[in-house]
Order: sequence, then structure tokens, then C-alpha cells
Amino acid sequence: MSGGLNRILPAILLIAAVLLAWELLIRLLHVQEFVLPAPSAIAQTMIARQPELFAAALITSGEVVSGFLLSALVGIALALLIARFDRFGRALYPLIVLFQNVPKIALAPLFILWFGYDLSPKVALIVVIAFFPVALDMLAGLQSVDPNLVALLQSVGAGRTEILRRAQIPHSLPYLMSGLKIAITLSVIGAIVGEFAGASAGLGYIIQFASTQMETSLVFAALVEVSILGVFFYYAVEAFEHVYIDWRPKAASQP
Amino acid sequence: MATGVAVDYTTRRQRNRVLNDIHLSVPKGGFVSLLGPSGCGKSTLLKVLSGLLQPSEGTILVGGMTPVQAARNRRIGLVFQEPTLMPWKNAIENVGTLMLVADRGRARNDIRDHAREMLRLVGLEHAATRMPHELSGGMRQRVAIARALALDPEVLMMDEPFGALDAITREDMCDFLLEIWQRTQKTIVLVTHSIEEAVFLSREVQVMGTNPARILEAVPIPLPYPRDEETYARAEFGEIATHLRRLLKHGHAGKTA
Repeated sequence: MSGGLNRILPAILLIAAVLLAWELLIRLLHVQEFVLPAPSAIAQTMIARQPELFAAALITSGEVVSGFLLSALVGIALALLIARFDRFGRALYPLIVLFQNVPKIALAPLFILWFGYDLSPKVALIVVIAFFPVALDMLAGLQSVDPNLVALLQSVGAGRTEILRRAQIPHSLPYLMSGLKIAITLSVIGAIVGEFAGASAGLGYIIQFASTQMETSLVFAALVEVSILGVFFYYAVEAFEHVYIDWRPKAASQP
Repeated sequence: MATGVAVDYTTRRQRNRVLNDIHLSVPKGGFVSLLGPSGCGKSTLLKVLSGLLQPSEGTILVGGMTPVQAARNRRIGLVFQEPTLMPWKNAIENVGTLMLVADRGRARNDIRDHAREMLRLVGLEHAATRMPHELSGGMRQRVAIARALALDPEVLMMDEPFGALDAITREDMCDFLLEIWQRTQKTIVLVTHSIEEAVFLSREVQVMGTNPARILEAVPIPLPYPRDEETYARAEFGEIATHLRRLLKHGHAGKTA
């Protein structure tokens, strides 16, 4: 365990040094709090406004989780359809790539217009942003299965669906997981952007509202909370991978 | 048993002759090696024999059936250079995978018992629950052989099965394969580019040449079984190896057919 601590110790020291320098500079140069608050001021705000921030974090989390799950579902379904049905895949794949080049964030106002101000426009925005890496990575996994393994299954009479089930899908799971890890960070971004575009609650809403009120330390407090949320979700996905895909040969352990 | 009659294989557009007018017959219970340099089409020939590729001309019969039929009827066991195991399944599950497909409706316990028996046959009963990445290269290839044997095929077709292993493990695996062959009485067709391996293992070596790919000569190996380290030291071993080496050199250089 001390080995683990030793590994992250330099990072902790660096963060502490940056925070200290930040605090000192603000105090020495008398920077106004609405321009750039000191870490201590941000910490105070985080404590004082925690009930409000926590409630907002819950709302944003709800958007992230539902958006992420739906993106995963859409991405997985598309990958399976494209892999299983050649002709359908040839028709759909270019469309998906084309769609990927649309700046999705620009769709946020449209979704507000269509779906209103609550959960659904954020979920819709997250899905259009986050399904792509899921679909793409899973498809790569489905298609990169060892052809000899496929030949082996075919030789004893396995059909397309059975090969998909027995070889391609299990083989694609590590690929799927790396797609999901990208998708979860995109989901947090999607939720915040969705709240910027129009919302009455959530961390993104607090960031936007507080900045119009010049409550800069609240903006930072919400930013910190969003970051914690993002890290938490990322590691939740990684923990899931660790538990369910234990067959992937572990990368050589660091010294 | 496997009587390959005039196998030609051409690619779709260019009609490249990958294999030209191959005549091959493998007696039941025999051990035949296809020996040749890389790119001579020996792996292609094995693919055609095992039904993975369709020949463009000629016919092949494995136990009286086409290779595809024979494979469906579990007459053919396949082993590749890479073990091609499923990394998400442990050794015993890997041995059972093909049975799950081929023996639809057979009880899982039954399959498991049979898979365990096959692992015992290849000397890996103790490693049944280990994952492929926890096994050595040689052990993985043994699992692959057990998986092929689990179908109880008549012919074992192996494409450079020891090609990815180090020299010492290779010799171990050769001893192991001969033992399996003696015990199971299977017919074995082995693709290799190692002269020593071919001579040590087979009853007959089909020497292949390039340009165009063809069989240069069928060389019987009269060395008595069981063969062991002593076999390498025998005078006949050296003579046959030298003969094969000359054939390969000649077939490689000569463009005339």
C-alpha cells in the first residue's frame, strides 16, 4: 500500500504547491474575489453552500447516468446490427460517421425547443454526443476477432448469430469498455452543456447563474464539484470493467 | 483416408495458381507432413483439405465426404499456429467450446467431463481452471490440441502448430504429439517448414515447391516408432533430412514444372 502512496505522493505535493502559490498571489496582489477567488474562499463557499451544490450535483448526476446508459444501449445496439447484418451495416455506417461530424453541442438549443427544460433534452444531447465512441469501439472489437477462431466455429456448423454470441461479443467487451470510458466523460460534458442551454437546476445551471451574479467563488465551487463528479463516474466505469472483464491480461505492473 | 485428387486453387480475379494439380492421399491412421518454404501454399492446401477454403478445381474426399461435410460431422480436428483460445474462458471451457456448438443438446456436465478427459490426455488436468494468459505457450497449444481431439475426429489437421514455440518446447511438443498419435490412432496431417520436425514425426513427408506451388515428391520415412532423442542420431535420419533439403532447394530455385 505504501508503494501506492509513494506513486501518488508527487502529484499531491504538486497540487498542494499550486494551491499555496495561488493563495499567496491572491493575497499579495489583492485580487478581487469576483475576478479570481483564493482557494480558501472557494473552500469556504463549498462548505457554506454545500446543500445547494449537493442538490445540484444530484440532478446533474441523474442526467449523466441516464444519458450514459442510453448512449451505451444505442451504441451497443448499432454495433451489433452493423456487425450482424452486412448490408444494413454498409448503409448505416457512413451515415453514423457523417453524423459524427455535426457539432453536436449546436443541437442543444433545438433539444430545448423540442423537449423542454427538464431531464429529456439533456439526455438527448448526451446520447448524440456519447453513443459514437461506444458504437465505434464495440464495432472494432466485434470485427477484430481472430478469423481462425471464427473458422473453427464455422467448421463445426456455427451460424452468424452463434459466432457473434460465442466469439465476437465476448471478444469485443474490452473494446466496449474503452468506448464506455470515453462516453462517460462525454456524458458529463453533455449534461453541463445541456444545462447551459437551458435549465432550472444542476451544476451547469449554478455555474452559469453564479457567473451572471459575479459570485465567482460559487462558480469555482461548482466547477470543483463537477470535476469530482466526472472523476467519480470515470472510476465507477473502470471499477465495473475490473470486476467483469478480469480475463484481459493485466498490463505489466509498474515498478 | 483423405484422398485429395487434383486440387487447384485460384483467386477470384487474377486466377493466380496458388496450388497446382495436387494429388495427395493420406492413409487412415497415418502421419503425413506437408513440408515446404513459406509461401509455397502448404497452409492453403491444409485449408482446402479441412474445408475452410473451396478448391476451384478438383475434388477432395475426407472419409468419403467433402471436407465441409466432414468438418460438420466432426471428422476433422483443426490446430493452428496460434492456439486461438478464447481468452475469456479457462482451459476446460476452451476445450469444450466446439462441443457446445457441434453437440447441441448434449448435457453441459457431460461436455465438461469429456473436456476434462481430453485435458488429462494432454497432461493438463491440473490446469483446468487456469485462464489462457496464465498458461505457457506450449500449454496453450496443448489446450488447442485437446479442443481438437474433443470432437473425436478421424483426422487431426495441424498448421505449423509448434511454429510459435521456442526450440526446446518444440521438441517436447513433438514427443507429446507422437504419444498422442500412438494413443489415439488418429490420422494426422501436419504443415511444417522444419525438416527435422517433419522427419522426426511423420511416416511420410510431402515435399512442396513454389512456382508453381506443387508437390515435388512424397518421401516415406522408414524410421521405426516409437521415436525419441536417439532417432535424431540415426544415420537414416541424416540421410533423409539431406535428401529433403536438396529437394527443397531444387524446388525453390527451379521455375520449370
